Amino acid sequence: MSCKPGQPCHEGRLRRMALGVLSAMALIFVLLSVASFLDSRGQVIPADVSYGEFGAVEGRRVFQAYNCMGCHTLLGNGAYLGPDLTNIYELAGPAWLEAFMPSARGWPTAAAVQVQLQKPEQIAATGIDSIDEYLARYPAAAERVARRGGGSTHMPNLRFRPGEVGKLIAFLRYTSMMNTEGWPPPPKVDGLAFALASPMPGAAVAATVTPDAVAAAAPEDPVAMGERLVADFACTACHATDAGTLIGPGWGGLHGSQVTLDDGRQVLADDAYLAESIRFSDAALRAGFAAGTMPSYDALLSAEQVDAIVAYLRTLSGEAQ
Amino acid sequence: MIQYQTQRLSMRFFMLMLVLFALQVGFGLLIALQHIDPSLLEGRLNFNIARSEHLNLGIIWILAGFIGTILFVGPLLSKRELAAPWMIKFLFYALLAVTIWNVVAQGFAREGIAGWWMGQPWIHEGLEYLEAGRAADIVILIGFSILAYVVLRTFPPRKDWNEIHWALALGVIALTLVWIFGLFFIERQDMSEYFRWYVVHYWVEGVWEVIHIALVGFLLVLLFDAKVKSVGYAVFWGVALVWLSGLIGNAHHYFWIGTPEFWQFWGSLFSALEPLPLIFCFWHVYLDAHHDRRPLKNAPAFYFILGSVVLEQVGAGILGFTMTFALTNVWSHGTWVTPAHAHLALFGTFGMLGLAAAYYAVPLMRGVERYDERIGKLGFWLVFVGMLGMAFAFALGGTVQVFAYRTLGLDWFGGDVFPAMNFFKMLVPLFGALFTVGAGVIVWDLLTIGHRRVRPASDAYAPPRAAVATGWGRTLTRYESSLWLASMWFFGAVITLGLLSFNLASVQAGDPTLPYVLAWVGYPGLLLVTLLFVWRFLASLETRVDQPAREALLPMHPAA
Repeated sequence: MSCKPGQPCHEGRLRRMALGVLSAMALIFVLLSVASFLDSRGQVIPADVSYGEFGAVEGRRVFQAYNCMGCHTLLGNGAYLGPDLTNIYELAGPAWLEAFMPSARGWPTAAAVQVQLQKPEQIAATGIDSIDEYLARYPAAAERVARRGGGSTHMPNLRFRPGEVGKLIAFLRYTSMMNTEGWPPPPKVDGLAFALASPMPGAAVAATVTPDAVAAAAPEDPVAMGERLVADFACTACHATDAGTLIGPGWGGLHGSQVTLDDGRQVLADDAYLAESIRFSDAALRAGFAAGTMPSYDALLSAEQVDAIVAYLRTLSGEAQ
Repeated sequence: MIQYQTQRLSMRFFMLMLVLFALQVGFGLLIALQHIDPSLLEGRLNFNIARSEHLNLGIIWILAGFIGTILFVGPLLSKRELAAPWMIKFLFYALLAVTIWNVVAQGFAREGIAGWWMGQPWIHEGLEYLEAGRAADIVILIGFSILAYVVLRTFPPRKDWNEIHWALALGVIALTLVWIFGLFFIERQDMSEYFRWYVVHYWVEGVWEVIHIALVGFLLVLLFDAKVKSVGYAVFWGVALVWLSGLIGNAHHYFWIGTPEFWQFWGSLFSALEPLPLIFCFWHVYLDAHHDRRPLKNAPAFYFILGSVVLEQVGAGILGFTMTFALTNVWSHGTWVTPAHAHLALFGTFGMLGLAAAYYAVPLMRGVERYDERIGKLGFWLVFVGMLGMAFAFALGGTVQVFAYRTLGLDWFGGDVFPAMNFFKMLVPLFGALFTVGAGVIVWDLLTIGHRRVRPASDAYAPPRAAVATGWGRTLTRYESSLWLASMWFFGAVITLGLLSFNLASVQAGDPTLPYVLAWVGYPGLLLVTLLFVWRFLASLETRVDQPAREALLPMHPAA
């Protein structure tokens, strides 16, 4: 049938010829493929990459299990709802990812990133423990904190199990180390200088980035100070101000209530319990919540500041100061 | 009206196809709305899960259409009943079970449960297009093997095969073999992507296109009494060109996934040849539809065949061509420019083929000699215009996205990128709604043809109004067809230049004028020419009805 009507056919010969050319092409393709994965190419492999105790291969399993590719692209493949994740580790760094991922519905603030700097795997990976140094090393983290910190994202909260965030960071560390032949093309201009970039958010966030200005205004009432600290540290990314559960327990009605701990004990959520939970969350962990999710705020908050936050929490139970 | 009783086995696959088509369109509309408001159904049905359902149902209903078509034409090609009908019944229930299971299984992504066991994700696997978990994968592999077995056992001895037999046989065998590459968890991201494209690319460009060419060829034989010999010639060269260009053409997926730079050369070169078989196929549809002047036997069936071949040309061929070069792909990759191509190519080429076959086969199997063709035509125009509109929105929105995201480096989707794309984000569900109405019309029509109560003297059964074969309805000459084709490629060239222009220093310095102007000329131009050409082609065929030989009144029976 390989001929026009009325012409002699040479089916067999044509089929053999086509198959011959096809085999030659298949050979070329196989040779190119073999060359692509030779060790001598020096492409990074995930078995060699880790973040603290977490391996990139395990991270890849978590990445697939949550179907991250269903919203994000990776190496440009996937869906187009969220940004490409290939280089996010290199751009924003592990502490920003640690702050962002457990409560992905909200953009982390500088203080929220700062809390994560104390994590040993973070220090091991970056060698940085000061927020200024971190934001200078990871300009994309600085830009996110400055323009978006405290705002809400388009990503839903995912209830990660303990360790999954670390594994994902290990995987993203691996992808950012891959040689992708120059993709994505690096921009040649500062996009923030263009009209397409939305202007910096208004006064509400400006207040959080210059807390000194507010503090200087007047000797602060503890509840107002607590409320400001809650905004600075973006606590409400994980804690609802009503009784609902986002990532951690909701605050509405929490103070003065009986809570069940991980080990089955019932305790009263009084001032002392709440203050201790802010400093060392895992010391008296609530039942139904994973250890290691909330970082320790002991090194970052003074006793006065912790008391101010507790004072603010009291108001959410309808109590007087 | 049906020559072989086992042809009726295709009916259940066509019906399943229609139901899944409707479901898939529903999920598509949902994710289009979620793109505008990502908090829609947040926490209950997140975007990533709805999108998996949209992709997977799309693949499954296209496959159901293929299987239905193959089962319907198999006995006609073989001049005997299908082998092992019980296996086909089993295949149907397996397909149904695997579909339901997979729809449910995708939901586990919300909790991050993939069902890891023996190193494999058994419930779902979170890889684009291959989201189905290993349990479903294995059932699907068995299903493909059954299909290949039934087709090969039904066909006559190999010495009696013509090119349509060859293409279909190679197609169903390759369908099964290629699937195997998706059955392994691979640790390396680059290698995993490398093998993922074996399934995705070789399915579409190596297998589905081969099956598509064979089935379109045979449907033309049935619809126009085209000579098997003439169609076979087209099928042979079509398949040969598809494989010779598509084999190394897969390299266009290997530009940026961590594989070496040399793929950019091979991918740009060979995948630029991939439109050749599509141009060839397109031309043969013209020739086969014009080998005589007899009127259309079954208008909706031919509407969808023409839609399939034209959108293959435009969506897969031209839009694929524009982004297949490393220098254009570096910009289009990972943006909305891609789904413009993907939607036209997948729904257009393969979806419309299944609908065409259903419009041919379902009335025959229900014993309907003539049916109200106006509903099918209306459905065709609604989905055709809806899909062209969506492609327009994706392509222009994608052009804005390339500039904001890649050139300016803005990566705040909610704050910087989405606001810039907002107008086009709104257009997607608008045209999507048009498409949904069309899909609803088609599904309802095909489900109920032959079951609806009809008034015997209804106008619907009268031939269309007398039209004179002049003006828009005059006979379409080869010369005119080639002008239409050339103008499509002209606009394709404009689009390619538009993507290339992102490489210019002036654009990289922040001036988007040139790529925007070229995109605004290229995409609307291409899509409008496509719309007008299909309208013109069909108008010229419609006027044939009024010519003296009233063949349309003859019963439609397969001419094999």
